[in-house]
Amino acid sequence: MDIVILNGNPDTGKYSLDAYLEDLGKALKADKHRVKILNLRDMEIKFCTGCWSCWWGPTPGECVFRDESALVCRDYINSDLVVMASPVLMGFTSAVLKKVQDKLIPLLHPYIEIVNGECHHKKRYDRYPAVGLILERDRGTDDEDVRLISRMFQRFTLNLRTRLVFSIETAQSVQEVKDAIGDI
Amino acid sequence: MRLVIFNGSPRGKKSNTRILMDHFSRGFMQTGTHTVEVVYLNRTRETDRHLELFKQVDQVILAFPLYTDAMPGIVKHFIEALQPYTQNRENPALGFVVQSGFPEPVHSRPLACFLEKLTRRLGCAHTGTVIRGGVEGVRIQPPWMTRKLFSHFHNLGKDFGVNGCFNKEIIDKLTPREKLSRSKIMFYRIGSWFGLTNLYWNMMLKKNNSFENRFAHPFRD
Repeated sequence: MDIVILNGNPDTGKYSLDAYLEDLGKALKADKHRVKILNLRDMEIKFCTGCWSCWWGPTPGECVFRDESALVCRDYINSDLVVMASPVLMGFTSAVLKKVQDKLIPLLHPYIEIVNGECHHKKRYDRYPAVGLILERDRGTDDEDVRLISRMFQRFTLNLRTRLVFSIETAQSVQEVKDAIGDI
Repeated sequence: MRLVIFNGSPRGKKSNTRILMDHFSRGFMQTGTHTVEVVYLNRTRETDRHLELFKQVDQVILAFPLYTDAMPGIVKHFIEALQPYTQNRENPALGFVVQSGFPEPVHSRPLACFLEKLTRRLGCAHTGTVIRGGVEGVRIQPPWMTRKLFSHFHNLGKDFGVNGCFNKEIIDKLTPREKLSRSKIMFYRIGSWFGLTNLYWNMMLKKNNSFENRFAHPFRD
């Protein structure tokens, strides 16, 4: 399987997520998966400005601001599984990760279609990778926060025309992530 | 009352969020000796100034569009900057306006739960959360299509000026249904057969000479 890990950790001094993802990467490679980790904090990516040029501009399907979000979009759409990983900051995944989530909309088409009685954007690509979520709790994080984040990512993956296949915390072992990936 | 509206739209002054909140502010200002200041969170370099204002006032409204089923990245950036004010007794009361392009409120509900939790985390009194779908068109719609919506926001502002919170009855009027009605779904289906639901997109695509390339998939290897 081609697996892309989007590491949304903004601060390596404060959170141990990077080490966890390194271990996970090694374990998955040992299982013959192809794994790529993108450290989003080190990438040159601008906030989405809501201009919608990616839908109707000169190059449909691409952000007109030529930043490194294009690299994320390419890796994203050509993978079988995308793992989104982040510490929980003020009850949600990081701004670094959210900035990148906003920049995934070029992967969809502006046209609206009705899916299960709800409006969603039409697919631009024939298939979309499954999405998994890995969370590292901060001091103030509680069970309700983790539940709410999962619910929001269920909505997010629905609109990205895929599904959330697991939501795991770094307090759980790397083996549990491997098992969840094995079940996909 | 001293109110600050934090406008979290990435489009800043050119946003639909601003149009809605302008109507709100006009209603608000009619009801007493209030002040209202609007701050645009797309100026991400001014976060320190934004935090200063948050500390100084007694009422804050955070208004923004739904982006990929949550708050836009710039709004999350601001929320993270509020971390030092967690459980601060002097925090202002806090309310939210979430508007979406999608017509159904169902897309915004999990986010609304998060926002309510955020007020508890900060120790702010929660003045309410207004959800409104189908807002993307308001910039270009003729006045007869937006009259009712704008008057709801005007009245919401007036009531806020008197009571210091969002009126639940007006909130309910802004979200008459969670999901599309059967007749709306039929309307969308039939409309899309004839290309009516995509008129706006097609107009913009043609204007930019990119209509022929509208189904491009540039990132597929």
